[in-house]
Amino acid sequence: MHRQILIGGEAGQGIAKAAEILGKAFVREGFYVFNYRDYPSLIRGGHNFNVLAISDEPIMSHEFEGHDVVIALNDDTIVKHAAEMKDDTVILAPNRVNAENKITVDTEAIIRELNVPRIMENTILIAAAWKHFGMPFESLEKTIREELKGNEAAVEAARRGYNAVDSSQPIGERPEKKPRYFISGSQAVALGAIAAGIDLYIAYPMTPATPVLHYLAALQTKYDYQVIQLENEIAVANAALGASYAGAMTMVGTSGGGFALMGEAMSMQGMSEIPLVAYLAMRNAPSTGIPTYTGQGDLKMAVNIGHGEYPKVVVAPGDPREAFERTIEAFYLAYKYRVLSIIVSDKHLAESTYTIEDFSPRVKPSRNIVETVPPDYKSYEITETGVSPRAVPGQADVPVRATSYEHDEYGYTREEGEWAIKMNDKRFRKVKYIAEEIAKLEPVSVYGEGNNVIVSWGSTKGAILDAIRRLNGWKFVQVSYIEPFPVEQFKEAIKGADRIVLVENDVTGLLGQIIAEKTGIMIDEKVLRYDARPLTPEYIIRRL
Amino acid sequence: MCAMTPNDLNTPAPITWCPGCGNFGILTASKMAIAELVNEGFAEHKDFVITADIGCGAKIYDYINVNGFYGLHGRTIPPAVGIKLANPELKVIAYGGDGGLVNEGISHLLHAARYNSDITVVLHNNQVFALTTGQATGTTERGFKGKSTPLGTFEQPLNPIVLTLMAGATFVAREFAYDVAHLKETLKAAIKHRGFSLVEVLQPCVSFHDTTQYFREHTYRLEDEGHDVHNFDAAVKRALEWNYDLDPNARVPVGIFYVDDSKMPYEDGWPSVRKGPFWKRERNRDWREIVSMYRVE
Repeated sequence: MHRQILIGGEAGQGIAKAAEILGKAFVREGFYVFNYRDYPSLIRGGHNFNVLAISDEPIMSHEFEGHDVVIALNDDTIVKHAAEMKDDTVILAPNRVNAENKITVDTEAIIRELNVPRIMENTILIAAAWKHFGMPFESLEKTIREELKGNEAAVEAARRGYNAVDSSQPIGERPEKKPRYFISGSQAVALGAIAAGIDLYIAYPMTPATPVLHYLAALQTKYDYQVIQLENEIAVANAALGASYAGAMTMVGTSGGGFALMGEAMSMQGMSEIPLVAYLAMRNAPSTGIPTYTGQGDLKMAVNIGHGEYPKVVVAPGDPREAFERTIEAFYLAYKYRVLSIIVSDKHLAESTYTIEDFSPRVKPSRNIVETVPPDYKSYEITETGVSPRAVPGQADVPVRATSYEHDEYGYTREEGEWAIKMNDKRFRKVKYIAEEIAKLEPVSVYGEGNNVIVSWGSTKGAILDAIRRLNGWKFVQVSYIEPFPVEQFKEAIKGADRIVLVENDVTGLLGQIIAEKTGIMIDEKVLRYDARPLTPEYIIRRL
Repeated sequence: MCAMTPNDLNTPAPITWCPGCGNFGILTASKMAIAELVNEGFAEHKDFVITADIGCGAKIYDYINVNGFYGLHGRTIPPAVGIKLANPELKVIAYGGDGGLVNEGISHLLHAARYNSDITVVLHNNQVFALTTGQATGTTERGFKGKSTPLGTFEQPLNPIVLTLMAGATFVAREFAYDVAHLKETLKAAIKHRGFSLVEVLQPCVSFHDTTQYFREHTYRLEDEGHDVHNFDAAVKRALEWNYDLDPNARVPVGIFYVDDSKMPYEDGWPSVRKGPFWKRERNRDWREIVSMYRVE
């Protein structure tokens, strides 16, 4: 069983919320749902749409065509998506929308009779779609109450919409109901940060990183942490270094342009060895690019952020389950090894909602602050692992230093070559231990079986998994830790392959370049997409 | 316990400033102020943190034996704000030059004043980029000829006293680097002040911008003329008296321009920050409870 519903309208008509409610109701009924959100950079007007892919089997992607139902809140939805419709696509729309063979719902009358705000048209129409598929009103009703905070007028509006149409295309057999999670990548990153023990999230708004800022801000009082918005990304990154130096578990979040501004501070992280977690939500680039659309073009920026050489961790989750777990790992590694951990996501993962079976964090982060500070404490003590014991200012009457300048073990400025060598060696000694740790965190995942291999990373996971299920002889090798690169695990995963294809949402195949640099393996065959839209199973299958 | 002396705050790092540098005055006054505040029971030695950015003045990080954060050019304020948020019990002093605070990082100066973050900013204002061998900054007087401006600067200097007053700073002062006794007292008052404090220090650069004689002749003390530090309009008027040009007829006010104790410090506005240092908190968050908000049953 597979159905796809498109909901379209202007910004401000509640398109995203309607899709979320409808998707969640299907999850409640035991289905797997993937919810894709598409919106231009504006607040009112324009054309927004969501695509809900619904299945009785796991699904993590959508297609841009072949919709079973189109819920149209405006004429644009019909015009712009005409080519994507099938012969038997059903259109659900209010009277005013111009379309042939539509099922009309008299939303105007319902809104007038109930005297409810216009925006409730969205609720009326999703209830009609719900009925169209023959679903029971109760699970939708419960979902509306949850999502709209007990808004009884909305429930009543939905009931009217539900009663206004017939069950024309009932979904026959329904799967067994099972509790699952319906969650976006942004929500998962936010919850991962909370679970990891975050004290301070410091950020400046930038699409598509902003949802994490909002989710974390909403929960700060409940979980006793703080979300601070400062004057710009440079302030954010430097304040975060100060905060983490002073003992707070700290994370920053931004998109490509903001991360570029943070670059110098990231380099200071390298020298100062102050633990720090950065969330980088990529969007179409270069420059302003297409701000509310997706892309994976910042991978090498993440790996190379900041001037000079210093060890860091770059981790790229592929779905919300991984986003939750990898965020916890990012904190764990940053605070254990006093390094920068970068979580790389993108608009597609950040703003799509997925159905997740469960979560299973592998590690538990800790501040790793020494119990007692010795009188001769050295902030940059040279140790076998390269990790100096961490103390914080105010802990004991022994100065704790952090510096952007090359230094000795106490953190005093040193310009002698001898100290540059000692401290570079110390900093890079960590890499071996981080790599050993990462080896235990499934840095490379293999899905399916076959002699043909798709290699990719990040948010392409959903489309690739859904594609290989429809293909014979293909497996998917997902690289989740990009830095330090899991060379052995990657080589093992692709061993014996007849064909290797790189799939990425960028122009030049950035992971392919990193693989070439780290392993010497050149992947010549590529499926790349750079129209600022996410990959879909069809897109991949047609090009293999 | 023995009283702390300024010499107790010395470090083994060799001082590399030019002989006669105005920074010596700032260093001496800072050590005296910290030692006295410790002896007076205002704070413990372990609770002082200094931040610095880059430049001659920033070397002070190496010269005072307290917790220290040696940051990036123009960025002495953001880490100070972050440190104070992470642990509001710390006493944070942010040192920066005119290049760092008025050029590269002026947004931080204005916004930290706006937040009323409870930090003390010490502006080493020598009106020149010194460590890069003498280029004009945002506070350099008109007519200055440096290696990058052989034709002479003609841009109007910025007035950090006026700017921070306008941005909402609750303690604004100016001192002269060679008047260590007054500088020390003003630093102590600024550190004790709850809220954002700026102490601008007129600091002659003996190598690239020697204003020693000018300031000896043109400065006067605000308290000698009955200035009311609680009067905002009077503070602005006094601040506008000198425009940073080295005009032979100008009078340069020094001392405390403005104090406002009524505004809430930034850190007090954050419920979780108010509870004290984050690092002392045991976190036992249950991840299953956290993800349950997205569980659909």
